[in-house]
Amino acid sequence: MTSKVTTEVLEKGTKQVKTILQLAQKQKTKIRYDKKAESEFFVDNSALAGFTGERILYMSVRELIENSLDSCEINHILPVIHLRLKLLDGLNDLWTISCKDNGIGIPSEKVPVAVCSFLTSGKYVEKQQRGLFGVGLKMIAAFSTKDTDHPLRVWSKSEEESECYFDLRTDIGTNKPITLFKKNVKNVESQIEGESGFKVEAVLRAKLSPITKNKIYDYVSQTSIVNPYAIITFETDEGKVTFKRRTEIMPNPSREVLPHPYDMDLKTLKKAILNFMNQKTTLQGILSNSFQKMSNDKAKEIITRAGLPIKPADKYDEHELIKVVNVCKHTKFQSPNTDHLSPIGEKILTVGMTSEYSIILNKETANSGSQAQLSAKILKPALTAYSSRICVVNNRPTIVECGIAYGGDIPSFKLFRFANKIPLLYDEGSDVAREVISEVGINKMGISKKEVKEQFSHVETKSDRTVEYLPIHIFFHICSTKIPYKTAGKESIASEGDLKKYMKSCLSDLYRKVSAQIRRELKLKEDENKLRLYKHYIPFIINAISESIKIDSKKLSIAFQNLAERYVSGELTNIAKQIFPDSNQKRNQMNDKKNTINNDNENELNLNKFDTRSSVSKHGNKTKLDKIKKHHKITKK
Amino acid sequence: MAPKDRRHQEINNKIRKIMKNVGDDILIKGIMPSLEIPKVGYDNTVWSDEKRMLTIGNKTVQIGPNSSKKIPTFAQYLVMANAIRKLLDEEMESTIRGMYYATLSTVGDEKNQQKFWSGQDDSDDAIKAIELLTNVPREEFSVTSKPKGMISGPITLSVGGDLIDCNLGSRATSQLIPTNIRDLEIVKVKADFVMVVEKDTVLNNIRKSGFIQKYNAILLTGSGEPDRATRMMVKMLNEKWKKPVVIFADADPWGLGIALRYKIGSESLSYDSDRLVTPNSKVLGMMFSDIYEYNIPKVARLAATQEDLNRANDMKKKPWLQDKRWKKELDLFLKNKEKCELDAFFKYGFKYLADTYLPNKLREAGVI
Repeated sequence: MTSKVTTEVLEKGTKQVKTILQLAQKQKTKIRYDKKAESEFFVDNSALAGFTGERILYMSVRELIENSLDSCEINHILPVIHLRLKLLDGLNDLWTISCKDNGIGIPSEKVPVAVCSFLTSGKYVEKQQRGLFGVGLKMIAAFSTKDTDHPLRVWSKSEEESECYFDLRTDIGTNKPITLFKKNVKNVESQIEGESGFKVEAVLRAKLSPITKNKIYDYVSQTSIVNPYAIITFETDEGKVTFKRRTEIMPNPSREVLPHPYDMDLKTLKKAILNFMNQKTTLQGILSNSFQKMSNDKAKEIITRAGLPIKPADKYDEHELIKVVNVCKHTKFQSPNTDHLSPIGEKILTVGMTSEYSIILNKETANSGSQAQLSAKILKPALTAYSSRICVVNNRPTIVECGIAYGGDIPSFKLFRFANKIPLLYDEGSDVAREVISEVGINKMGISKKEVKEQFSHVETKSDRTVEYLPIHIFFHICSTKIPYKTAGKESIASEGDLKKYMKSCLSDLYRKVSAQIRRELKLKEDENKLRLYKHYIPFIINAISESIKIDSKKLSIAFQNLAERYVSGELTNIAKQIFPDSNQKRNQMNDKKNTINNDNENELNLNKFDTRSSVSKHGNKTKLDKIKKHHKITKK
Repeated sequence: MAPKDRRHQEINNKIRKIMKNVGDDILIKGIMPSLEIPKVGYDNTVWSDEKRMLTIGNKTVQIGPNSSKKIPTFAQYLVMANAIRKLLDEEMESTIRGMYYATLSTVGDEKNQQKFWSGQDDSDDAIKAIELLTNVPREEFSVTSKPKGMISGPITLSVGGDLIDCNLGSRATSQLIPTNIRDLEIVKVKADFVMVVEKDTVLNNIRKSGFIQKYNAILLTGSGEPDRATRMMVKMLNEKWKKPVVIFADADPWGLGIALRYKIGSESLSYDSDRLVTPNSKVLGMMFSDIYEYNIPKVARLAATQEDLNRANDMKKKPWLQDKRWKKELDLFLKNKEKCELDAFFKYGFKYLADTYLPNKLREAGVI
C-alpha cells in the first residue's frame, strides 16, 4: 500500500513528495484520497479509449474521421474530408496528422473545451452516433501535449461566424484547455473554403508498423464503402488517394429518442423530474413525456401499482421513486421505437458495394522512390444483394444490415464488419459475425463444397469453409443506440441476446437470394472451361481417329464440335435461355430436354419475387454473357 | 501398311474398332462417345479361391468427353491408341517412356497453354487403359519397360532366336531378363528349383558364394518391384517347367509386399494376374520372426517408420491377407516396430546368408 501511495504522489511534483514521504513513514497505514482530473485519468488509462502503443495513429485517424462524418451528417451536409498523415521527424517518431471537413464546425468560444477537455461533448444524448464519449479528439490533444512541444492547431468556422484559428494544449492535471494563441483568419490564411468546417492538426509521437499502416488504409477504404456520399482524400508519405463521391443520397440522420421504460433507473427518473422542475407537471405527466411507449393511462397505472400518494413531482423521495422503477421493470411495454436509428440503407450500401475502393500500394514505384505509390482501384462485383432486419436486442432497438457482393473484380472472400457505420478491423475472430458465417451453411445456396473447390481450386485460404473459397464480400452493419461491444476498444461485437439469430437469418436470406446467381456464375465458369477444353482437345481426338480409320475428318470434326456445344448448352438448364438467346430455335430442334425453357421462366419469376427487405442487384452481367457468346462463336469456326 | 505379325494385326483391328465406335457415336448416333474400361484398384480387386490369386472384379468406369476432367483423359486415350497402332504398323517396339515422348505435345492457345501429359505417369495410365480396352498386355503390342530383372543359373533362353546361356561359369555376372517377352523363349532348364530374392545386391552375394552350383538352383531377382517380364518368367518356370519357386525378401512391409506380388498378384495389375502370378510359389523369408530366431544384432535392425506401420496396418485389413501366418507376422512387426534387410546376415559373415540361413529355410520347407 505504502509504495502505491508514494508512486502516485511522485507524479504530483517534487514539492509535496518530501512531506508525503515523511508522512508515509510516520503513519504507514494512512491513505490519501485524491481526486484525479478526467484528463489525467484517461492519459493514464489510455487503453480504455483504445489508444495503446501501436494503435495511437490508427485510433487518431479513426476518431478524426468519425468526428468529421458526424459533424457533417448532423446537418445533412455532403461530407468532404481531407485526411493527412505524414512523418515529421523520423528520428523521434513524430507524425503530423491533420483532418479537415466541411461539417458544422464548433462555435469559437467552445473550441478550446471541445478540443481539450475530456468528457465535454455535444453527443451525450440517447442517439445513434459514431463517437459517444467525448474522448477521441481530447485524447489526441492530450497525447500531443504529453509527448511533444507542438501545439494543437485548430481552424473552425461555424454558422454565421468567421473562421477562427487556435493554438491549443491541454493542462492534463486539471482537464482544462490552454489557449496559446487565437485569432480570426481571413482570405489568404483561411483554411476552410465552405460556409462551415473544422480542421485540426496535431503532432503525435508514435511508431507505425506495416500492420498498423495497412489497418489505417483498410479503415479509410472501408469507411468509404459505407459513406459513398462522402469525398475522402487521404494523403500519406506514400502518396495520395481520393475516394470519390458515388452518390448524393445521404442516410436520414439519426434522432434523439426518449428512453424506454425498461431502461428506467433512479438516475433517469430523477433527471426526468428535474427537467420538469418549474412546470408544475404531475409525476404522471412527467413519465408520459419522458419515456417512449408510455401513455398517460399507462403512467397512471404504474403510479397506482407503485402505491404512491399524489403530490407534486419533486416531493417524492428516493424510496418512493424506486417503487416506480421496480414496477416498470415488471410491466409489459411495447417494443422500443426503431425509426430514430440511421441504417446505411439498401441504396447507399449497394452503391458502396458496387464501387468498393481498395487501396493499392505499388511496390515497384515504391522502390524507385517515386511519390505516387498509392492508388485506389474500384472493385466492381458481378452482383450484390442486401437484406436487413429491424429488431430489438436486449430491449435496444437494433437494425441488422447485411450485404453480399459477389464475383466480378472481387478476388476472394472477405468479411466486413461495421457498427454504427464504423468499420471494425481488429479481433475479427471473436466477433459475432464470424460465428454467423461459420454457422450458416453454404448449402443454403444449393452449391456443393466439391463444386466450389473445383472451380476455385487456386484460391488460397486457411479455412476449410466453403464460402471462403468464393470470390465474395460479406458486409454486416449493426446499428443501435448501444452496440454490445466485447471490449472497451470497440473492435468486436458480442453475441448478445438474439442478435446472432437475426444476423443469421439475414445472411441465409441473402444466400438464398444470390444462390441462383452464383450457381449460374459457377455454371458459366464451368461451361466456359468445358468449351475451351473441347476447342483444344477435339483436334487431338479427330486426328487420332482419322489416322486410324478411313473417315471424313472434316465432317467428323464439325459433328463433334456441334455435339460438344449442344452438350454444354443442354446442360445449362437454368441459364441456357440467357446465354444463347439466339440459339433457342436451334436448340428446340434437337432438344432432348425441352422443359429446360420452362424452368428458366420459373427462375426468372423467383428472382422477381423478392420481398421489400432484400434484393439482388446484377451488375455487368451483360458483358460476361457477351464474352461467352463470343467464345461460343470461336468454337463454331 | 499392315504389320506382318498376325497378333499385331489383331491388335490393330481392335484399336480401329474402338476408333470406329467413337466415330460412329459422333457422326451417326450423335451422342457423346464413351469408353467402358474395367476399374482398376482396391475396390475392384477380388480374391479368387479357385485361382488362389487376386483378380479383377466386374466394375467398370465410363471415360467420355463429358466433364472438364474427362475431356483431356478421353483425348489422351485415343492419342495413345493411335500411337500404338502406328508403332505396330511400323513394326517397331518401344519402352513406355518412348511412348511418352512419341506423344508429347502442348494443348491450348497462348493464353491457356499446357502440356498434353503432365508427366509420364499420365501416359503410363493411358497405356494401361489401352491394355484394358483391348484386353491385350502391352508387351504384346511391343511396348515394354526398361529391363531390370536378373537371372542366373542352369537355364538357356532364346531371345529372338539368339541363344543365351544363363549358367555363366564365372559367378561374376547375371543376365538381364528381356522385357520384349514376345521374342523370349525358355529353351532348356536344368535346375531343381527357382529362388527369387528381392534385391540384386543379395542375388550377387548368393551367386558369388557358389550357391547355384551347390544346390543346382536358378537365382532370380526383380531388383525391387518386379517388372512384368520377371513375374512371367517366374510363372513359366513354375507352371510350364514344373520347378518349385521360393521367394526371399526383406523383413519389412515393402519386402513382404514384393514377395506377395509374385505369389498372389497386385491390385494395380489385378487384370493381368492370369499371366503374372505364381500361386504355387512359397514365400520363405525373411520373416519378421526370423529377426528374433536368428537373433539379428540390434545394430543391424532398423526402426519402423510411420509409413511402414501404416502399410502394415493396411495390409492387415486386406481380405486376402487374413491367413493366420501373415497376421501373426504383421502383428509381430507392429508390436516390435523393427524391420530388417536380408543384408543384415552379412553381420555374421559374408557367406552366412548363402551357407546357413537360406539352406536352413529351404530344408525346413522341404525344397532341398
